[in-house]
Amino acid sequence: MTAMFRPRPTLMVLGLLLLLVFWLSLALGPVSLPLSDTLLAGLRLLGVPVDGSGTQQAELILGQIRMPRSLLGIAVGSVLALSGVAMQGLFRNPLADPGLVGVSGGAALGAALAIVGGSLLGGVPPAVEPYLLSVCAFAGGLVVTAVVYRFGRIDGQTNVATMLLAGVAMTAMAGAGVGLFTYLADDATLRTLTFWNLGSLNGASYQRLWPLLIVAVGVALWLPRRAPALNAMLLGESEARHLGFDIERIKLELVICTALGVGAAVAAAGLIGFIGLVVPHLMRLLVGPDHRVLLPASLLAGASLLLLADLVARLLLAPAELPIGIVTALIGAPFFLYLLVRGRS
Amino acid sequence: MRMTTLLACAGVLLSQLATAADALPQRWVSAGGAFSEWVVALGGESKLVGVDSTSQYPRSLHSLPGIGYQRALAAEGILALRPDILVGSNEMGAPPVLEQLKAGGVRIELLSAKPDVQALEHNLTQLGQLLGNQAQAQTLLDGYRQRLQSQAAWVKQAQQHHQAPRVLMLLSHSGGNLQVAGKDTLAAWMINQAGGQSLGDHNGYKPVSVEAMLALDPEVIIFAGGRLEGDAARAALLQQNPILAQTRAGRDGRVVVIDPTLLVGGLGPRVPDALSMLSTAFYPSAQAQTAEIKR
Repeated sequence: MTAMFRPRPTLMVLGLLLLLVFWLSLALGPVSLPLSDTLLAGLRLLGVPVDGSGTQQAELILGQIRMPRSLLGIAVGSVLALSGVAMQGLFRNPLADPGLVGVSGGAALGAALAIVGGSLLGGVPPAVEPYLLSVCAFAGGLVVTAVVYRFGRIDGQTNVATMLLAGVAMTAMAGAGVGLFTYLADDATLRTLTFWNLGSLNGASYQRLWPLLIVAVGVALWLPRRAPALNAMLLGESEARHLGFDIERIKLELVICTALGVGAAVAAAGLIGFIGLVVPHLMRLLVGPDHRVLLPASLLAGASLLLLADLVARLLLAPAELPIGIVTALIGAPFFLYLLVRGRS
Repeated sequence: MRMTTLLACAGVLLSQLATAADALPQRWVSAGGAFSEWVVALGGESKLVGVDSTSQYPRSLHSLPGIGYQRALAAEGILALRPDILVGSNEMGAPPVLEQLKAGGVRIELLSAKPDVQALEHNLTQLGQLLGNQAQAQTLLDGYRQRLQSQAAWVKQAQQHHQAPRVLMLLSHSGGNLQVAGKDTLAAWMINQAGGQSLGDHNGYKPVSVEAMLALDPEVIIFAGGRLEGDAARAALLQQNPILAQTRAGRDGRVVVIDPTLLVGGLGPRVPDALSMLSTAFYPSAQAQTAEIKR
């Protein structure tokens, strides 16, 4: 598989695209703000002392609603796409998805436990409530991934195929757990659970953003350092080992990066499918399989696609809004099919 | 003495004028079927600028912008409607969205969706004050109480001669699995008020197999279906679940269809009518409710 485009210009275009989408995400919303107000409010939020009379509403909407939401979108989108690259590299399979090691299933189970369990116990202390769902989802993702990784360890080595099958089995078990909680749930919690499963950037706040942002920056800095190893693994595990890479360590690092990244993303925004599977795939078609380019390209494209999907989600049915998982699939899947067909001819 | 009364009256009037001038909320968003109905009943329909997905009645609300499901509200979408106030139950959320709305200057008024008269009293008093229509709220509340009382009296009378029928309440959304109303639901409260014995033993709404329904052998089935009404809904229910025709309710043709929008957001204005309809179906041979109750 060769690249359609040369790496450097493609990365620059993707970067510009992300900037553009970020700007749109700040400038557009159900509340229509005049462009001048948006600019003034933006300047004031950056600490530039310009005349602020008449821009209070714009400042609120920009600073408290759109900015955290857009940053959350960038963090979630890039982390999901990077984890997708890591998983596809680890399993040497372009159909690998971050959910494959059980992190999504585990997070869903944790979330179901928090949503339904909390209401079954007759409510949780108000001090804990805002964090309970996120913490449980994050912990659920980590625990299930750890179990899957443990199953893959045989004689001090990680057998990727066993890990994959263990991931499938653990995801099925987590699914059964979620099903059980779905049965136990009352009407209201059931709907909360359903909406959570479709993901949303709605109600983003800086509070919810920081933990994810730290993890996202960590993953985005760490994974590119492993690009040469991922490239070597394309040849096969033993070949990579002969080239001098500590494969067992790399595999563990990839799993940890995915578990932390996807776990934090899911904890902050619910289950958002498709980005982790399709973005790396798309980028491989665009820039080729070299992970030194593939990783940054996927980061940029994942963030852009998620922001774009969120824009559609909040504009299409305003004042109501669509769960974003529906939109990512609706935008991504046809585009993906188009590229597949095009690549064939 | 008369002078003081007059003065007191004037004082009350003045204070009411003052609160009116204190700018009552003019632009309303309502999240909850029964709450929207009460706002309309209190003459506030022209003030509504948005409603949630459960506000399906009266049908004129359909033309208002929809803010989606009450537990998944969108802050900016609601702010775009420039509301002064958002009313809804404590199920409304998510909490960060409510915080953002408050920061945007929207007053959040929590009402109770519990199916009991105290909750209704609180809701109506609040809504009456906020709409500047306390007098009518009081009238509506008194009328409501009176109807529930005469309803209860009628049921007591009927139960002296007849046994309380065993009632199963089924809920179905567009042909999906049937769910049975259990304890803690408005449906159970209504069955009880109408003089029936609710067979749902679990909490909330749960799917129950038709075999279990057959074993429960209800004497009356209440069906809250999707869009179908009356005979069409009844026929669809029995066609999709032929086993139900073998229950006593099915054999005797005692399947009552009610509007599912009645069951959302606590006691709404249409509940007393539905109650007298239900109790007439529960005790068909008892003396019809007096004209005053039926109206």
